Amino acid sequence: MKVGLPKGLLYYRYHPFFKTFFEELGAELITSEDTNKKVMDAGIRCCTSEACLPIKIFHGHVDALKNQCDLMVVPRIMKVSNNEYICPHLCSLPEMVVHSMDHLPPVTYQSLYFNSQKQLFHWAKDVGKLITPKRSAIEIAFNHALDRQANYKRTIDQSQYSYKILLVGHDYNLYDKYVNMNIIRKLNDLNLGVISSDSIGNGILNKYIKKLPRKPFWYYYRQAYGSAAFLIEKGEIDGIIFISCFSCGIDAVITEAIKDDMSSLPLLLVKLDEHSGDAGLDTRLEAFSDMLARSNTHHKKRRI
Amino acid sequence: MTVTVPHYGNSFIGLKVLFDALGINYVIPPRSNQTALDLGVLHSPEEICNPFKLMLGNYIQSIERGADTIIIIATNGPCRFGEYASLQQRLLKKAGYSAQFIILNTQSGKKALFEGIKKIGSHSSCSTFQKMKALLLAITAISLMDRIEIKLRYCSGYEKNKGECKRLLQSCYEAVVQTNSAKDAVKILKSFKHSIKSLPLDYNKKPLKIAIIGEIYTISDPFSSNHIEDQLMDIGISTTRSLTPTWWLKDSVLKPFKLNSLSMHRAAKEYIYTCAGGYTRETVGKALLAFKKGYDGAIQVFPVGCTPEVIAKPILEKISSDKSFPILTLIVDEMTGEEGFITRVEAFTDMLERRREKCII
Repeated sequence: MKVGLPKGLLYYRYHPFFKTFFEELGAELITSEDTNKKVMDAGIRCCTSEACLPIKIFHGHVDALKNQCDLMVVPRIMKVSNNEYICPHLCSLPEMVVHSMDHLPPVTYQSLYFNSQKQLFHWAKDVGKLITPKRSAIEIAFNHALDRQANYKRTIDQSQYSYKILLVGHDYNLYDKYVNMNIIRKLNDLNLGVISSDSIGNGILNKYIKKLPRKPFWYYYRQAYGSAAFLIEKGEIDGIIFISCFSCGIDAVITEAIKDDMSSLPLLLVKLDEHSGDAGLDTRLEAFSDMLARSNTHHKKRRI
Repeated sequence: MTVTVPHYGNSFIGLKVLFDALGINYVIPPRSNQTALDLGVLHSPEEICNPFKLMLGNYIQSIERGADTIIIIATNGPCRFGEYASLQQRLLKKAGYSAQFIILNTQSGKKALFEGIKKIGSHSSCSTFQKMKALLLAITAISLMDRIEIKLRYCSGYEKNKGECKRLLQSCYEAVVQTNSAKDAVKILKSFKHSIKSLPLDYNKKPLKIAIIGEIYTISDPFSSNHIEDQLMDIGISTTRSLTPTWWLKDSVLKPFKLNSLSMHRAAKEYIYTCAGGYTRETVGKALLAFKKGYDGAIQVFPVGCTPEVIAKPILEKISSDKSFPILTLIVDEMTGEEGFITRVEAFTDMLERRREKCII
């Protein structure tokens, strides 16, 4: 059996889990290629025009895979942490995909709860059944997948550069090089090191979001605000770059809070959509790095 | 203390009755208008949704009229509504307006919610029994108003004298706002409800029937939806809309028991398999129910960037082609031009008319 795994959205966070699970079950796993122009164009064609860019790109990946596999993994990720949501789009991804595309292979509708192992196993059981009837095999594959996921850590923390920037954003914007136009390399070329917002532990985040009037109910709100507040207090960063997508409902609220409360540091808000151009981003990043350099020399002069 | 509340459809009538009965000073902001929207746009982040901007405008207009305390609910859902209160508090402060917020928080269980309610209640000199009675009166008023509106909007297709339903609805709004006594308000509403029965209706007519679906605030608020319902009323089309303040109240109360809007959820099952948050399921369910009931079409209205409705859009497109049921999607924001909006609605209704006569040019 061929299982298709689209390389979009939270693939960048949970691919070890999916890969291990399906491979151990004996399925042939086909992953779509990295995002490129063709994928994005297909996504824009298939998906409803009001959706955000990552959703469109996910549709593009599904489109690329749909003729090659017998089962398409469209993860409906409901929660990644207790009492928090991610985004309504992610919670109804299968519906969006199924109703806007034709000639699809069977799709996984089951919900994924990455905050609870018990509920996650329900997903594994239901999806595993489609591949193998053996429950024990599913259990083994599931446990291995969990182990692999737990050992997987993909965060960025570069300290060999002269400045350090906190890169805030959803996983699929931070790690998809096509979407963010390889922003991390661009920053490195400008001698700016990057620390990603997902590199801060849960305990610290919980401590620092207490500054907010109420606990946010979005995972990414907590992550963005908590990491920025923590790193500013520690004095580790020189600026913040927020990568967001056009019409992202959550980011409209988060950016406002960060802009307000973290006004001591320069903040660059990069909005991505399907019309983003490389040159415009380059100019803005260069201006940002120039600004950092100037403000710093200014400081030094004053200190003397 | 002078309290104020943001507008949400007919809810201001219920809240007016409530504050009148409790003897609390209040300011009801002018019904959402262009000035409110402009004020809201000025102080809000660009990408936030239209209802947020309108609510902010409501507050500012109320503060200018002497209000100093704002009451708002903060739900705990994936929709942005839950974050409204804290963000608006921040923005008002930044804009230089001083107002207290009483946030009815549903996040940390019932306790926080009741604390907020107690805080409001402590400003009233009524006894607990009277407070309960006031609440009951308010709920009666709001459900009466919603029922009158729904009934009149539906009857407008069948009316003998053109424009009578609309006139009656307008005079109802005017009359109920003028009184400052809770009991009188309910009496007025009851008499209006009664007078609907004596409206001359012609049941031999076969008007077009359109279901209005979409984002709950936008479709309940005539200004945000560019008076789409009034416009349809003018051309003698029966409309129906299920998402009203009364429905919202009932839905919120029944939600913990999972008994909320069963019919819509059951209808939506064909296309939506799990609850996604927001009112996606209700929008899709209502469209399917309208199709089953023999409606001619549906119009979905939502503000730019409303995530749950964006999810519903491709599903509605699919329903439209599967069932051959016309659905028009209209997206509104502060830049929506009235003329373009009207033209599209007119074209849609023309299409529905021709479709019915099977004369497609």
